[in-house]
Amino acid sequence: MNIAVLIKQVPVSNDVSVDPVTHALVRESSEAMINPADLNAIESALLLKEQTGGKVAVFTMGPPDAERSLRDALALGCDEGCLITDRAFAAGDTLATARVIAAAVKKYGAFDLIVCGAMSSDGATGQVGAMVAECMDIPHVSEIQSVSLSSNNDSCVEIIKKVHEDKLRALVELPAAVSVNFGCNEPRLATLRSKREAKNKPLITYTNSELMLDPMMTGIKGSPTKVIDSFEPERSKTASMIKGSAKEIALQLKDLIEAEKGKI
Amino acid sequence: MASGICVYAETCNGKLDPVVAELITAAKLIKKETKETISAIVADNDCQNIINELSGLGAEKIYAVNTGRDMLLQDESAAYVIAEMLKKIEPSSVLVPATPNGRSIFSRVAMKLNCGMTADCTELLVGKREDGSCFIKQNKPSFGENVFVTIVTADNVYPQMMTIRPGVYQMAEKTTESAEVVYFDDIKAPESKVRVLESIPSEAETDSILSADILVVGGRGALEDGNFELLKKFADKIGAAIGGTRPMVDSGLIPFDHQIGQTGFTVRPKIAVSLGVSGAIQHTEGIKDTKLYIAINSDENAAIFNVADYGAAANMCDILSEYLLL
Repeated sequence: MNIAVLIKQVPVSNDVSVDPVTHALVRESSEAMINPADLNAIESALLLKEQTGGKVAVFTMGPPDAERSLRDALALGCDEGCLITDRAFAAGDTLATARVIAAAVKKYGAFDLIVCGAMSSDGATGQVGAMVAECMDIPHVSEIQSVSLSSNNDSCVEIIKKVHEDKLRALVELPAAVSVNFGCNEPRLATLRSKREAKNKPLITYTNSELMLDPMMTGIKGSPTKVIDSFEPERSKTASMIKGSAKEIALQLKDLIEAEKGKI
Repeated sequence: MASGICVYAETCNGKLDPVVAELITAAKLIKKETKETISAIVADNDCQNIINELSGLGAEKIYAVNTGRDMLLQDESAAYVIAEMLKKIEPSSVLVPATPNGRSIFSRVAMKLNCGMTADCTELLVGKREDGSCFIKQNKPSFGENVFVTIVTADNVYPQMMTIRPGVYQMAEKTTESAEVVYFDDIKAPESKVRVLESIPSEAETDSILSADILVVGGRGALEDGNFELLKKFADKIGAAIGGTRPMVDSGLIPFDHQIGQTGFTVRPKIAVSLGVSGAIQHTEGIKDTKLYIAINSDENAAIFNVADYGAAANMCDILSEYLLL
């Protein structure tokens, strides 16, 4: 089974503030990592590959330095990497981003399954995976707990997804896309040896010279939604502070809680 | 010309999702400014029951497609049906619940209609362009909710499509007014490549943070030695469900579906006691509407004291130990 994993490089810290004059976002740190849920996606793909053979190719779209995250993914066991990078792709919304990723995956080769993390820790829209599936005209199931081989139908995978109180087990015809929830499995760790091996694994770069997309359909120009303002949330309220010894505080807490409980 | 506010009436097992009544409230607020018609769209096996539930909530029109089968997880088919409906309705805006289902189906719809979609809005405001036409300012948290951004859909793009976080708007009250119902019988649900094999009831949840009246919320401070044990006993004593912030979930002490705030849930308990929660906005946005919010944090400058009604700058271990003796 050939599997494409879509990952995103995200900032380690979400500490940003708004410059009061320019309204520009000020980042506290530029350290980057693989989005946590995408590690679960990589793990899901590697587990499947271990059962079926085939290859796992990992894709990311971002600035040139996102190559570091691809190398990290190769060190975890992915076989090949593809960096999608071009100024024409930058600052796109989910729709414009998904168009480019879908085009890159299609150009790269035929895949049975596309796996991505359910949400990124920075944007957290959870939209790109489903949009890529739509662009590629394949079915998808998002925010799943697990994906495994179907025991009696090798043109399908079986997935488990939580819906409200229930777990649904479903059969999905390949080729298909899935997005996996953060924390749904235990991602493996890279070793010194696997990191060394990763340096020699194939990694290619696609810019728009390769993908040849209409620049009006990608990046900021191709985005139907735009950010027009940013602001810091209002924090106007101030708590009444309870003071005293631990016992006094506990007693006051109890009074407050009991009084409010009486109104429920 | 695109006109009208259209609410997606999300259903599950043939029932209307309660969040739809919240979205209708949001639509009513938009309508005050734009004077547009509010409609709802339903696509389900048999829409009649859902239409009955929807009726009187405030939608003037209900558009429906009987799909003839349960489309659970068949999002590519559902997206086709809904996109075809929207092509006929031509609304200026579409309001979608920011639920797993809503996100999944409408991501595909947004791609089909090339209109894009803003995720997880917490506030919708109406703006006016120079020519007098209206647009929706879609406010949403970003970067782990450390900042809020205003997103708009480009002037010439319709519908303006957005998902709205559950729990942000109050539910619309039911009235006796009825809605005009329009069935699109010519729209047929295509076959899906997804088939649900079985539904396995989950292991009984000990508590649900969504329905809890009383909630104890653990933050990073609750990770310290033995604090979580105390927190659990305290929650037991006051009859509370346990929720937490990202560090608690990352540490595995509480399950993912008990995370409050960004990528977690928005909750509206009557009483919440937070323990060792710093008050990062990614969490507090998910719980700020609590009636009585008490925060305990050893740092007297913690941001949580700007959100809570009552605060104590104290060691949670000391306070809880005393409380358990009361």
